[in-house]
Amino acid sequence: MKPARFAYERPGDLSALLARLATAEGSVKLMAGGQSLGPMLNLRLVEPDLVLDITGIPELRRASVEGETLVLGACITHADIEDGRVPDLTGGVMARVAMAIAYRPVRNRGTIGGSLVHADPAADWVTSLIALGAEVELASTSGRRRLALEDFVTGALDVALAPGEMLVAVRISALPPGTAWGYVKHCSKIGEFAHAIGAVRIEPHAGRGRVVIGAIERAPLVIPDASDLFGGRIGPDFAERFDARAADARLREAGMTDAVDRYVHVTVLGRAIAQAAAAPPSLTPTVSEAA
Amino acid sequence: MSTAASALRDDRLPLNFTVNGRARSLRAEPRTHLGDVLRDTLDLTGTHLGCEHGICGACTVLLDGEPARACLTVSGACAGADITTIEGLDDDPVAGELRAAFNREHALQCGYCTPGMLIAARDLVLRLPDADERRIRAGLSGNLCRCTGYVGIVRAVRSVIAERRARGIGPTTGGQRGLGPVGARLGTSSGTASDAARTPLRPVAQAETAPSIADLDGDFVPAHRFDQSFTVAHPPDTVFALFGDVEAVAACLPGAMLTGQPNPDAVEGALQVRIGPIAARFRGRARIFRDEAARTGRILGAGSDAGGRSATQGEIRYRVGPGETPGTARIDLAVGYTLKGPLAQFGRPGLVRDLAGRLGADFAANLEARLSGAPAPAATGLNPLRLLLTMLTTSLRRRLAAWGRRP
Repeated sequence: MKPARFAYERPGDLSALLARLATAEGSVKLMAGGQSLGPMLNLRLVEPDLVLDITGIPELRRASVEGETLVLGACITHADIEDGRVPDLTGGVMARVAMAIAYRPVRNRGTIGGSLVHADPAADWVTSLIALGAEVELASTSGRRRLALEDFVTGALDVALAPGEMLVAVRISALPPGTAWGYVKHCSKIGEFAHAIGAVRIEPHAGRGRVVIGAIERAPLVIPDASDLFGGRIGPDFAERFDARAADARLREAGMTDAVDRYVHVTVLGRAIAQAAAAPPSLTPTVSEAA
Repeated sequence: MSTAASALRDDRLPLNFTVNGRARSLRAEPRTHLGDVLRDTLDLTGTHLGCEHGICGACTVLLDGEPARACLTVSGACAGADITTIEGLDDDPVAGELRAAFNREHALQCGYCTPGMLIAARDLVLRLPDADERRIRAGLSGNLCRCTGYVGIVRAVRSVIAERRARGIGPTTGGQRGLGPVGARLGTSSGTASDAARTPLRPVAQAETAPSIADLDGDFVPAHRFDQSFTVAHPPDTVFALFGDVEAVAACLPGAMLTGQPNPDAVEGALQVRIGPIAARFRGRARIFRDEAARTGRILGAGSDAGGRSATQGEIRYRVGPGETPGTARIDLAVGYTLKGPLAQFGRPGLVRDLAGRLGADFAANLEARLSGAPAPAATGLNPLRLLLTMLTTSLRRRLAAWGRRP
């Protein structure tokens, strides 16, 4: 339960970090809070030659609002979001996701950027931020680019980072007024990785709905236009119109062969939809099991 | 295993921080986590180590006043931090009330979880608005106790919260602290940007600890199965003929490398796979069976990883049939496999299926290219040539171990 040897560096600014990342030989892992990488190091599932600690870089620990977009540096922690130390344009949706991630000591160091790059299919941010339509900002010595999060997460623990590239920020657009949001995960023990996640973002008056099904041990299943899950039309009565069989068919198409697995995921999705219908649109549902 | 040279190399880095109000200067290896620094270097053995992967909560300490896992905080990451262990809470009023309540409510038996439990409980006492049992239980879910059944612990925490709120002491919000992981200082460039990291980290000599080649069990029954299929724009006969060419198939499979001279019914080789940051390299041998008339085949193989800690056996059955349009072929694969050893604790067959899906897609693309006479496209992750180059230049000693489910 002790990591294999690695060298450790902690650059103080972003350009130094990117330069080091571009030239370092051997296997290099970036580390933010270390709450995902740490266990893998301790278990020797990962044995990097060099760990680059990115938490000393001021730019990565900033949060700002650019127009209608919230920009969170990669090293913003779950607890920062939970406690409201960063601005919020989602009516409390992100705080509610954050406060149910793992445990408080983990949330005090675990970061939003680290969670997305680790891309565990059962992680909360992977599914919830895809449902929110978030973008990631990537940087390397040759420049920056932005990518929709759903294109960034390419598979279980797999992301579209090029060699020498890192995630520097997450960009989350404001939820339009009147948006209904539901996010439900199923865990058999509080704080463990979810066995099923349903995230729904519905604009009943615009007739639009986006559904994401997560914790399916591959990249989340994204349904950008979910109207066929609601009998072909999304309206204020969307919760009554939810068609569980259509959702089941989507999961079957996505390759989920086990009927019990599909049932659990469809049930959790149904609860997320019910939650979206019950909560006043874009108001903060603060009730949470987590503390 | 480390060579003598690397075992003797001192890669400890200077580390300065404050522990329980006292400035400390020491040296620690980068891989050493805070829990071991506290216990082994500073003799602060009140911080206990249980699971060492963030689940049990026994090692919970305060970093800059906030609870954090000592086992998931590498030493260098807390340079400059303000650390408080259970020993530093002797005069803390909340901890004092909790100790009295734990005593009164019989909230401990063996005491192993108690230091972490007290630190987590103190955080709840400070933050929770009221003594709500559900929220207390949820808040303590990251601290495991195998003795008490939690009833006494929860009762103790409830009573302290209730008493303090009754005395008019409200909850804190945690609103003031800076952004980012607790304990991590801005800007400071701790660790070394020079020597240790820039010298070769693992001597090449230790790179290839050749594993013994695993062999097959006669009575193999796979623990996991999945099916996969893909189509290529070439006739079934051509595709099936190519499947008989072991070298061609290996060249199309990302991460596969043949060793020794293959013959049509047996092959020795290695397969390197990656799941995210996890890399494993299995060496082994396989037997190949083909039925020309039915255009089906069966490959039965076994391998073990370089550290010898994990072993796998697997069977791939394939069938090459006509595709939907004339001149195309559909390949159906039925894969069954068993993992033994620490990797089996990985416990998430779905991840293996996802990996296999991506490997299959690369394989299909490479197969298509090869049948069309084009050179195989460079695989995104691994290709045999790059693998060989990597092997010659850097360490490939990658082992797989247990990975329990964790947050």
